[in-house]
Amino acid sequence: MRAALFLRELEAAGVTDVVGLPDNSSAALFARLQHGGGRIRLHTVTREGEAFALAAGLWMGGARPMVLIQNTGLLESGDSLRGTLMRMRVPVVCVVTYRGYAKMKRVLGGPPAAIDPALLSRNDLDSVALVTEPTLAAWGLACGRLDSEADLPKLGEAFARSEEQAQPLGLLLTCDMVADA
Amino acid sequence: MMTKDDVLGPLAAARTTEIVVTTMGTVRPWGRHSSSALDFASADSAMGHAADLALGLALAQPSRRVVCLNGDGSMLMSLGTLALATAPPVPNFVLFIVQNDTYEITGNQPVPGAPRVDFALLARAAGFPAVHTFDEAAAYRAALPAILASPGPTCVVVRTVPGNEPPLSRGSHEEAAYLKDSLAEAAHRLRATLAAGG
Repeated sequence: MRAALFLRELEAAGVTDVVGLPDNSSAALFARLQHGGGRIRLHTVTREGEAFALAAGLWMGGARPMVLIQNTGLLESGDSLRGTLMRMRVPVVCVVTYRGYAKMKRVLGGPPAAIDPALLSRNDLDSVALVTEPTLAAWGLACGRLDSEADLPKLGEAFARSEEQAQPLGLLLTCDMVADA
Repeated sequence: MMTKDDVLGPLAAARTTEIVVTTMGTVRPWGRHSSSALDFASADSAMGHAADLALGLALAQPSRRVVCLNGDGSMLMSLGTLALATAPPVPNFVLFIVQNDTYEITGNQPVPGAPRVDFALLARAAGFPAVHTFDEAAAYRAALPAILASPGPTCVVVRTVPGNEPPLSRGSHEEAAYLKDSLAEAAHRLRATLAAGG
């Protein structure tokens, strides 16, 4: 997924700020935001929990932020998501890069229906992928998926739905972002 | 050492158009000094993240000062915020750290490192250009107007005696005006107030 196209969708959705922490999947977008992201401001946090609280404050102040973190950091940040965006009904879209998704899809065909603890220690699986969707479901964050550039219109749709419902929404990014060719 | 009222009274008197975000042991005491529409209680919210929320407000409202009344226990839960406030510097952000060395809400158990942890040193090391420490009420009162008028980010460490605030809640039974509504109602109302020029 080209970072430039992703950024264009964010601009079209009226995003003012991106708050998050880079990983290998999102690095190209962070680089683009850092070196000429146009109108959109980048706030790199030290832990993912900060991202949700910072985004809540930005929204209360009149901005339209988006959160961009990895699923590993998402697991670290549960109380912040619960206590800010969810509890305050803040309409923010949270893009979560889905580490381990490709391996999980190759080995299991997709997320397992139930988590057998034995799966969590298997060397051919990344356990963070196994627990990502069940965790999001447990925390009540409705999520869609971004699998390719063809899914980019889902970003704008998610912002519109999030506003409509006055709730945060998640989008799981299963592919890597790349710099423009 | 000061009491919380020694800290909050002069602040409420000096406050003009600032947004004030409170959390934990400062929530109810601030509510006894102020009932402004620009007050926000980070209560029934995320633990340790009031300063992040206040920083977000400051970033979105650059022409308005945002004061966060954080506790020492809360600050220790999210020390990374000190770095966020300075990279790049957020000049309208004023971070109070009310240091009583205890988790007051849960019965005044000592926070880790108390009383050795030097929050002023941590703030300076993170790049705060303006850092002040007070443990005496007269000196604090005298310095406060200039502190609130100077560019930041600013960190104000106030050494206080532990209080005895019980656990926080929200609802009509709460005396403080800003605790009567749900957290969602309070957040949406502050956004509307600021959009209307509050």
